[in-house]
Amino acid sequence: MYSYIVRRLAFGLMTVLAVSVLVFVILRILPGDPLVAVFGMEGFTKLSAVDRASYMTQLGLSDPLWLQYLHWMRDVVSGNLGHSFFRAESVGDMILRRGPLTAEIAILSVVLSWIVGVPVAIISALRPNSIGDNVSRFLSILFLAVPGFWLGMLIVLGLLFVFGYRAPLAGASLFTDPIANLQIVVGPAIVLGLGQAAYIARMARSSLLEVIREDYVRTARAKGLSRRPVISRHALPNALLPVITLSGILLGFVLAGSIPVERAFGTPGLGYAMFSAVSERDVFVMQNLVFLYSIVFVLLNILVDLTIAWLDPRIRYQ
Amino acid sequence: MTVAERDVEAALPPTPTAIKATGLRRMGRGLRIFARRSPMSAFWGCIAALIVVMAVAAPVLTPYDPLKSDFRSMSKPPSERHVFGTDQIGRDVLSRVIYGSRASLTVAMGAVLFGTTLGALWGLASGFLGGRFDLISQRIIEFLQSFPDLILAMAIAMALGAGFGTVIVAIAITRIPFGGRVIRAVALSLKEMSYVEAARGVGATKLRVMLRHVLPQCIAPYLILATTHLGVAIVIEAALGFLGVGIPPPTPTWGNMLADSLNAGLVPPWWLVLFPGAAITVTVLAFNLLGDGIRDILDPRLRGAV
Repeated sequence: MYSYIVRRLAFGLMTVLAVSVLVFVILRILPGDPLVAVFGMEGFTKLSAVDRASYMTQLGLSDPLWLQYLHWMRDVVSGNLGHSFFRAESVGDMILRRGPLTAEIAILSVVLSWIVGVPVAIISALRPNSIGDNVSRFLSILFLAVPGFWLGMLIVLGLLFVFGYRAPLAGASLFTDPIANLQIVVGPAIVLGLGQAAYIARMARSSLLEVIREDYVRTARAKGLSRRPVISRHALPNALLPVITLSGILLGFVLAGSIPVERAFGTPGLGYAMFSAVSERDVFVMQNLVFLYSIVFVLLNILVDLTIAWLDPRIRYQ
Repeated sequence: MTVAERDVEAALPPTPTAIKATGLRRMGRGLRIFARRSPMSAFWGCIAALIVVMAVAAPVLTPYDPLKSDFRSMSKPPSERHVFGTDQIGRDVLSRVIYGSRASLTVAMGAVLFGTTLGALWGLASGFLGGRFDLISQRIIEFLQSFPDLILAMAIAMALGAGFGTVIVAIAITRIPFGGRVIRAVALSLKEMSYVEAARGVGATKLRVMLRHVLPQCIAPYLILATTHLGVAIVIEAALGFLGVGIPPPTPTWGNMLADSLNAGLVPPWWLVLFPGAAITVTVLAFNLLGDGIRDILDPRLRGAV
């Protein structure tokens, strides 16, 4: 097991390094001039050549690219992520202030997706092609197609029309003001949770249907166990293994999905910061945030792999 | 008819009309089987076809110019004159939703045509050739997959600057690893089949075996994947538009319209939110269910795999 963990972590570290290069390449090298990204095409054409040169030096952009990359890596390692072009707050502080909110949303949405998805899958799989199965399958197909941010906008509008209610817009910490915090978090978490629940219900249903046909399940029934413990103790644990993998992958996609969803709800989280950075063409903030999201994504994948290896000995010995 | 006569007739090239007739008849029969086997998918397939027709025929179908603002009717709720209402500068929402299908479908089809196809060909080559090429390809694909697709698309779209082409490229790049992985797995399993071995035994070159014998078998999984990817690409395009890095504003796209509605005031009018989003949902639903149907017919073993 330990050698597996070490191997997986080493591979993860390599991935993170490669990702940092790729982020750098995408955001710094692709378009001829980073100033175009900063000022927009029109703003860029208005700048004189001298202005351009001085901006470039000021931003550290006139160094050779490999040096710029090394500077960035040094900054990342020392925890100094620099400033946005438009805000006084440093990127590091912004992440610390806004990050917890997005993390809460992500975790809550995963919990929600299991609470909704797994029972639906069990009902579906126990009576395939019944009315309940068809309804739940239709709902999961529907929720796969509904864009989360649109659902979020509808929820915000609906609450406003029917109850005249709007979630607080200012950020609130879970510890100092739990009620306000919950009001902010719950909407995005429901939207993102339902989206994941659709995937989870689909996956859990097909995997449970497969496991129920296994010999050992029939043996358990044949030795006289009633249906309920056979499902919950014998079939479910094996059927849920692929669901855990899926859920981990989905959690990564939730981080990305929370960007438009937070915009729809006006949630003051990290996703909203990402949206602001994109719409303000704030290359440096964007670079650090994309890198951060990718690191979290890679770590999540490692965590999922390790959990699966821990639960399923067959993987460990491959 | 003697044997010789039949051979002569078989050797003659069939007339073009004959080909057309049998081709159409075969297609018709295929569609009929499709409709009988999965009526649900056939129904949604028709909806998908209608949406495509809507996009092509947009100038004929729209009651108003989607870009022209009418300052006498701004932010009007749905009425007889404007069935879906008007936005804050008096543009007809119905016309904009219809034109929005053009942007969505063009971007989605472009992205799938480039991204999924490139990924699939790459996967085919890497699965079939194996060896060092396969190892390196797999690492590259894993690296590409260490970004959530929306974030990768956002970063690329932002770096390249807004525009039709850049959105297509940004989404296409996120599709490559998925195409690569699925088709690689298919190619790996095909490689071991005895007919491939037979083709090699006869002396066909690797390239010939790959293109003539393995590639055709990859078309079914590719079609399934491509239809599903259409839906994903439409959602990513809408999200990019919503976040302001999609196709730039005057062009009506569903994502842009939703983003605009948030600028319409503290409380966005409901008709500006409801209709573009519903258009996205119905389109994605149609392509997803069509994809499910195609999968069930072409390859029942793949059920739930893609």
